[in-house]
Parts: sequence; structure tokens; C-alpha cells
Amino acid sequence: MDETKKRLAACFRVVFPDLPEAEIPSASQETVAAWDSVAAITLLNVVEEEFGVELDLDELAELNSFPKVSNYLQERLQVG
Amino acid sequence: MSDLRFEYKVKDIVTITEALKVIQSAPRDGRPFSVTLACGFTPLHLQTFLTAHLQRALTDRKVTISTGLYGSLAGTLERIAGSAPDGVVIALEWADLDPRLDFRSAGGWGWNVATHIVSTARAVLDRVSAAIALIPSGTRIALSLPTLPLPPAFHTPGWEASANELVLEADLLRFAANIAQDGRVTVGNRLRLSEESPEASRFDLKCDLYTGLPYTTRHADRLASQLALALVPPTPKKGIISDLDDTLWCGIAGEVGSDGVCWDLTSRAHLHGLYQKLLSSLAEHGTLVGIASKNDPATVTRAFDRKDLLLRPDQVFPIEVHWNAKSGSVSRILDTWNIAADSVVFVDDSPMELAEVAAVHPGIECILFPKNDHAAGLAMLRRLRDLCGKERVSTDDTLRLKSIRERAAFHEQSAGAATPEGFLARAEAEVTFDFASATEPRVLELVNKTNQFNLNGRRYTESDWRSLLARQGAIVVSVSYEDKFGPLGTIAVIGGVMQGDLFAVETWVMSCRAFARRIEHQTLKVLFEGTGASAVDFDFTPTAKNSPLQEFFAALLGEKPLAAFQLRRVQFDQNCPPLYHAVREMRRAEAHG
Repeated sequence: MDETKKRLAACFRVVFPDLPEAEIPSASQETVAAWDSVAAITLLNVVEEEFGVELDLDELAELNSFPKVSNYLQERLQVG
Repeated sequence: MSDLRFEYKVKDIVTITEALKVIQSAPRDGRPFSVTLACGFTPLHLQTFLTAHLQRALTDRKVTISTGLYGSLAGTLERIAGSAPDGVVIALEWADLDPRLDFRSAGGWGWNVATHIVSTARAVLDRVSAAIALIPSGTRIALSLPTLPLPPAFHTPGWEASANELVLEADLLRFAANIAQDGRVTVGNRLRLSEESPEASRFDLKCDLYTGLPYTTRHADRLASQLALALVPPTPKKGIISDLDDTLWCGIAGEVGSDGVCWDLTSRAHLHGLYQKLLSSLAEHGTLVGIASKNDPATVTRAFDRKDLLLRPDQVFPIEVHWNAKSGSVSRILDTWNIAADSVVFVDDSPMELAEVAAVHPGIECILFPKNDHAAGLAMLRRLRDLCGKERVSTDDTLRLKSIRERAAFHEQSAGAATPEGFLARAEAEVTFDFASATEPRVLELVNKTNQFNLNGRRYTESDWRSLLARQGAIVVSVSYEDKFGPLGTIAVIGGVMQGDLFAVETWVMSCRAFARRIEHQTLKVLFEGTGASAVDFDFTPTAKNSPLQEFFAALLGEKPLAAFQLRRVQFDQNCPPLYHAVREMRRAEAHG
């Protein structure tokens, strides 16, 4: 797991403390019951704090799985 | 040394990540502390931060927050009447007073609806007041008034306040002033919040429209912090020990003489005058003020004789003036006050003196007097008020210094008496036991702030206390004391439950001002005789600070107890020394029907 994914996994652990470690890389809004609209916003903010990037609420609907958030971050961080 | 630096910054901002980690660190089996958060918007980060701030204040509890329905603040409050949370937090916003003040609403902003908005808001405030009145007594309530800007709904340009906006504000303040009369409600200070969370950076319209949370993250954190402080306030410091030269007054008394030191406007020394005024005000409310100064005693005595001093000499005790180390002065002052260093603030203009005292008395709060820096001076005055301010002032607070002076006289005379027995026998002491005072604020306050003579160090929220009182067979007795040296006021509380012929004591505290008078013996004697108990079970836990109580128990048991224990009446009778008090009992029948 690369550094970005490790840091993102830490964000997931903070927001979803009951999510088993092994399930984090494949976690999505469909598979994680606790990932409701409130958790989605909280995750967005925690990711912002961890990576120092500002995420737009318009992107909230798209960022609905670990891989998608991870890919999004890789792109943002490369551009940055 | 970091606590010696004169920097009063906004308390650390808690990020959402940090807040979540604090929440997750709560003890899983900790006693619950349940809070109802009443707000009309999506609570989201406000709830997260509020939970975290409360959890940090209540480390041994597990804080849980329940919320109501979106858009129904008054309804949420009305539903509380049937439950009994430990606390209620009300985050009021303009949108709660009329839906047309909600950015998410499609309701009109025309000039013709402005008066309707005002009348609707008035009705909602009345409804909120009525709902608050129905919240079970003993439940603490923290209220914040609207923190967000009004929408541009009124006809005037933004730089002008319309008459309707002013009426709305006036109604809101009238509501808040009335609510604040209710001893359970603490209203957050809007001006203080403005300093920590500037008004222009509070509102996030996009977040409001997309998620229903109108607050920026920082504002949610700052508001949550203030509401948590209002719901679970820190224990006020009990005393301030101050330096004299360039602190209580401007100038070095030994150089310019007692008439040369100043604290007035003309001499541009008014910051020292303000400091004196604050100390005087705090002393009136029961904060102890002592002096630790390296100085010439005769010069200081002459300075304290000056009629223009704004801190009255009778408000200061003791005064330690000599050329020895200040840490020694602080030790003697703490002994006289009989309180621990962590209950005290030490103020001096010298970083070196602060460091010397801090090294010997870890836990003491050291504050540098910032001479010639008025901005820092103002921050210091406010910091002292924050540390020592009280929600309410009781008669016992105003008696405190007097009783400490009398205690000093008591000890002086008892040391000089031929025998301690003779001295106690001639003290003309009267102990009063009040069996129906459990709900008086002073009683719970004493339980929660006493450390040295404290059965187990347990602190109670008002709802915990209410639960204890509601138990079958509960008995709570407050004790007051007076002798020929003067009254000490209410100085002890014992509470527990009768279980057959056993009295199970859950809490027992006694103010350190009342030590060495055998009041604790008299308390047990009255309890044994009054309840007919054959034994008393003490829910005792040794703490770092309750050695005076441990020693008292050791004298009765033959050794210090290590945990909960039982004391039989025969054991007590065999080991109880002679008691010379007159005993008065109050409201026993009232308490027990």
C-alpha cells in the first residue's frame, strides 16, 4: 500500500472505527453501513485535514469508495 | 516554562480528526453522561466537537449526545420533559425563530413580512421558554444565542439596522435575560465567542444549502467549546497570591517609599489600579487574596495604610513580606488557607520569581504581570476573572476569608492553650446538622470542590446528585459550625442510604477550614444516634489528596483503610474523643416526612 493509501486508511479508521482493517481498501458507501450522509461529510473533512487539500461538496457524491477517494487524491496531489 | 509565558491564545483548535479520536478514547464502560443537543439545523460537526469537548472535561465518563428532529428546536426541547438527561445544550439560530430567516427556506423576504417575522419569533421564544421551564429540575442547560448573521431579509441596506431587526434583537435579549434567571441555565457570552470565532468566518452558505449545517468547521469547534464550558464549567481557583512592587502597585516601595508607589491615571499606572479593583471584586466573591513580596515590612505596612488603595487591607490575608524565597511565602500562605497549590494563581512581574515558585509548587498557575503592556494587561485581568469567576456567589463565599482569619486565631490560641482539651472545651462551639438542605446549591458545590477531607473524590453532576437523593432511604446532611471565634458557615456534607440498620455513606466531605475541631467525630455520632444504625459502610477510596480523611479513619480503625470498609458503632464509641459542641438539628422531620 503506498503512502497516500496508508494515510487515507488512517482517515477511514478514524471515521469508521468498527470497520475491519482488511475491509478498508475495498470499502464503499454500499458495503459500509455506517457510511451515511453524515459520515460522508465527516470523511471529507478528515481527508481535508490529513492531506491539506480543500475538497468541494460537489464532489461528495462521486467520492463514495476508498478506491475512488484514493484515485482522486493521487490526481490532486500530483497536480499540486 | 510554557505556562509562564504571557500568552492567552484561543484554546487549541480541535480538528475533526482530533475530535473523533477524543470521542473514541472514551472509556467503554464509563458511566454515561447523556446530553440532549437541541438545534434546528443538521448538528454534524457541532455534535462531534461538543462530544469531544465534553469528553475531554469528563474523562471518566462516556459522553453521549442525542439530537432532535431537523427544523424543530422547540419540539426537541418539549420532548425532554419526559426524560432526564444529564445536560441540555441549546444552539439557537435565527432560522429557529422564523423559517423565513433560514437560507434554506423559500419563504419571502418582502418588506411586508418583516413584522410577521418579528411576531413569529416572539411566539417561538415564548414556546422555547415554556419548554425550558418543563425540563426536569437539576438538569443543567447551556444556551447559545444566534451566532450567524441575519439573512438580508429586511428592507434596509446592510449597514443600517432596521427597526424590525432591532425589535427582534431586543426580544431575543429579553428572552435570554429571563432564561438566565433560571439557576440551571448558562447563557454563552456572544462577545467572547466573537473573539474566538470572528463573525465574518462563521457561516458557510454552501455547506448549509448542501448539508443543512450552516457552520464552518472552526465556528462549530469554538461554539462547541463555549457550550461545553457552560455545561460543565471548570472549578474556579480558590486564591490569588500576588507580588507588590510593579504588580499590585507601580514602583519599588523600598526605593520610592510608601507614598511614591502609585496606581492612578495621572501617574499612568492605572493598570495596577485595575488589577487592585479586580482583586477586590474577586475577594468580595470569596476568592482568597494573599501577598508574597520581597520587601521591607514597615514600608509595606505604611503602603497598606494608604486610604487610596483600591484593594482594602481587610481583603488580604496573609501578607508575607521579607527577603526570603517566595516559594516559602507561598508554602505558608497555602498552609494558612489550607488549600493545594493547584487551586491557586500566583501573579508576579518577575519571570524569575514565577519560575522559582513554579519549581517548588508544581500545579500552581503562574501569571506574569505585564507591566507597561496594556493589551497584555487587559488579557491578564480577563484571564484572572476566567480562572476565579463563579456562576453564583453564596453567603459562605463571603465568609471564607473571615473564617480563615478566625481559624488562624483559633490555631494560635490552641497552640498557646495549656491542653487541647481545655481549649476545645472553652471554644463555645455549636454544630448544626441540616437534614433537608440537599438541594441547596452550596451543598453540591462543597461536595464537588473539596479534596482533602473527601471520602472518595467522586464528583457529581446535578443529575447524579438528583439520582442519589431519589434513592430509597437516602439521607444527606449538611453541617455548619460556629464558635467564639466566629461562624465557618456550611463546612461539611455527608450523604448515603439507610439499608436496614446499616448506613451506607457514598459521599462525605468537609472543608479544610473546619479541621481540628472534631466536627467529623460529632457528625458520625449524630448519624449513629439519629439513624439508629449499628454500623456505617464507607464507600472509601484513597486519593492523592485525601490523607486528612485517611488519618481520621486510621485513628478510629487502628490503621489506614485501603478501600471501602465498615465502621461498627461500638468501634466508633470506643475511639471517639470527648466532644464539647452544642448540637443543633434542623429539619429532620421535614426530610423524613
